Amino acid sequence: METSFALIGKGYVIVAADTTAARSIVKMKIDEDKIKELSSHLLMAYSGEPGDTVQFAEYVERNIRLYQIRNLYPLRPSAAASWIRRSLAESLRSRKPYSVNLLLGGYDLATHTPNLYWIDYLGTLVEVPFAAHGYGSYFALSLLDRYHDPEASVEEGLATLKRCIDEVSKRLVVSPGKYKVKIVDKDGVRELEI
Amino acid sequence: MNTFVQRFAESSATKQILAGNASVVEDDDFSDAAWGSEAGFGSLAKGVPSFMIPSVPDPASFLRLHTDDHADPSCRIKIQHGTTTLAFRFQGGVIVAVDSRATAGSYVASGTVKKVIEINPYLLGTMAGGAADCQYWETYLGMHCRLHELRNRERISVSAASKYLSNLVYSYKGMGLSMGTMICGWDKTGPAVFYVDSDGTRLKGDLFSVGSGSTFAYGVLDQGYRWDLTDAEAQELGRRSIYAAGHRDAFSGNTCNLYHVKENGWEFIGNYDITSLHYDGPGNVAGSPGHGYGYELRVEGHSASNPPPEVAQAITAEA
Amino acid sequence: MPDMAALAHPQQRQFNPYSENGGTILAIAGADFSVIAGDTRQSEGYSIQTRYAPKVFRLTDRAVLAVNGFAADGNMFVKKVKQRLEWYRHAHAKDMPLRAIARLIQTMLYARRFFPYYVYNILGGIEEDGTGAVYSFDPVGSYEREACRAAGAASSLVQPFLDNQIYFKNQRPAAGTSHPAHLPLPTVLSIVIDSFTSATERHIEVGDGLEMYVVLAKGRTLQGLEGIRGMQELTATEDGERVFIVRRDLKRD
Repeated sequence: METSFALIGKGYVIVAADTTAARSIVKMKIDEDKIKELSSHLLMAYSGEPGDTVQFAEYVERNIRLYQIRNLYPLRPSAAASWIRRSLAESLRSRKPYSVNLLLGGYDLATHTPNLYWIDYLGTLVEVPFAAHGYGSYFALSLLDRYHDPEASVEEGLATLKRCIDEVSKRLVVSPGKYKVKIVDKDGVRELEI
Repeated sequence: MNTFVQRFAESSATKQILAGNASVVEDDDFSDAAWGSEAGFGSLAKGVPSFMIPSVPDPASFLRLHTDDHADPSCRIKIQHGTTTLAFRFQGGVIVAVDSRATAGSYVASGTVKKVIEINPYLLGTMAGGAADCQYWETYLGMHCRLHELRNRERISVSAASKYLSNLVYSYKGMGLSMGTMICGWDKTGPAVFYVDSDGTRLKGDLFSVGSGSTFAYGVLDQGYRWDLTDAEAQELGRRSIYAAGHRDAFSGNTCNLYHVKENGWEFIGNYDITSLHYDGPGNVAGSPGHGYGYELRVEGHSASNPPPEVAQAITAEA
Repeated sequence: MPDMAALAHPQQRQFNPYSENGGTILAIAGADFSVIAGDTRQSEGYSIQTRYAPKVFRLTDRAVLAVNGFAADGNMFVKKVKQRLEWYRHAHAKDMPLRAIARLIQTMLYARRFFPYYVYNILGGIEEDGTGAVYSFDPVGSYEREACRAAGAASSLVQPFLDNQIYFKNQRPAAGTSHPAHLPLPTVLSIVIDSFTSATERHIEVGDGLEMYVVLAKGRTLQGLEGIRGMQELTATEDGERVFIVRRDLKRD
């Protein structure tokens, strides 16, 4: 089952998503990147209905880019989160809603603060210090209540993420195999190995 | 004595259910003993429990129709559900920790339920699923553990006790019993934990958690678990895991009951209010971290911001 | 002549031997007494069947049972409990102790695990050690000893009130004072009366009359009960425990 995690640390947000693309009982692909780099300091992990996910993620990506081209500056993470939420909320009330759950992680250059937003397909938006989607959340949230620290270094943050991934691998019946992990901090976006 | 043992030794439930399907078992079909000195034995007056079964083609679906609040929230007889229980084996024995909430739909029917059933001084059972099923059958198991002692002049092993329960509930499979329990104790083989449920599953293991909040408990439990935990560390881990489930699962909460099974039997460690654990911690007890478990408390004053030094200075100057 | 049209199609029937007759019961244990109460309205749907159908019954001089839910099952159940207690009396020449009655009720309810009595039971009385006790049961026999419990139609209205007034939940004692562990009988009686007048105001299935049974431990005087109007004694033995009943009117609309 699809699972994604994200957590804030001192000056960064780590976003992780599993890399399986499944159809029915078949794994179609095991190295799918489900984290989009929306802008220089913005990451978005997406999961949900196959088809909707990539369509919606690309729609968001293009619009965030368009904003930057028109205005010569990018949307701040909070503004991007609001715009994305509104898009989902409007979609929900349309004939064919997108069924996509998101974790939006960004580094706000104006306030020097990392931001993380948990967004679901209903248009629920909440800013949180850590977040998870999918069945993994049932195991990870209590763990993060216990181990998460907003002042953790990148190494410590990754160690906490590793705990989440290990726990899900250990306990979830249909646990994902591999994860892609990305980080965003003041220097921008990059991929991490775990 | 011998006749007493004989009468209570029958354990075939299937036979009775089959008989019940053929014709209605009258529940006031008492033996003569019920009139005399055993008048207080309830449904056990005949030695084996007997159950009245409705005279319909499918008694199990009749029961489901009236008691399954998951399928039909308006059903009349609400059986209490929702729980977090855990038990684990470690170097110092077995830790058993449970919450105390019972819910009927979204109503908190009780916040003081005893979900650890003290079968005898060295055996504990936990309660998840139907409260009455667990209470009744684990009490009944306690009777048979005592009979085992009388017959064999030695205590029953945890393995045998759990198998007795497992076989017992398996004979009622499909009738609507609902229980997920851990039988914990210490016998000749050392500390032991067995998971037994109403499907008939019976598993020997080191660490189990059962109930709607079990995933949340596992999250904390697995990460903190080691075989060589000290007694204090193990007790703290049990407490912290139940707190985690009480915090994240709406159907679990109120208080945590903690037990420690050692070589000479179980010991009740304490009852901890989950809200107090959140704000103040467990108080002055072994393994206590000395502060509340709450995330907000733990990270109070911590900030994820990392302004460059000159900006940080400006901010402090402004303040 | 059988109706051929009806015979042509398979007919499905559901066996539904249950109904719900409203009302509320409640019990509170004190240090050396116990109060068990219930309203007397019996209804089905929006119709009131009777304004006086007792839900609370004296079992022995130290045990009182309140039953709520499906009245027919409840009455049958009380009858059977009383029968078993009578047998016990014949065998042992004494009344069954309260904790044993509680276990008896568990096994009797559980004997109907696959065809349950649709009743919520609350047993109140005096333990062998002289303390007041309340036991509450679910329909299939899980039980627990408590200090207070409300069950039935208005339980979700009454129980939070009791939590606040009996257990002092969400209350902080004034500086230098502490909450009493046990409340005096007159206070308990007024809490019970208030519970039922309030439940009558806000729940349509509660009202008409209130019956409160008071069980006093051995050696406890009637002190504090002087002001209670219309109290009637029901004690049958010389064991020492005493049972009283107090009746009050509730609104009948």
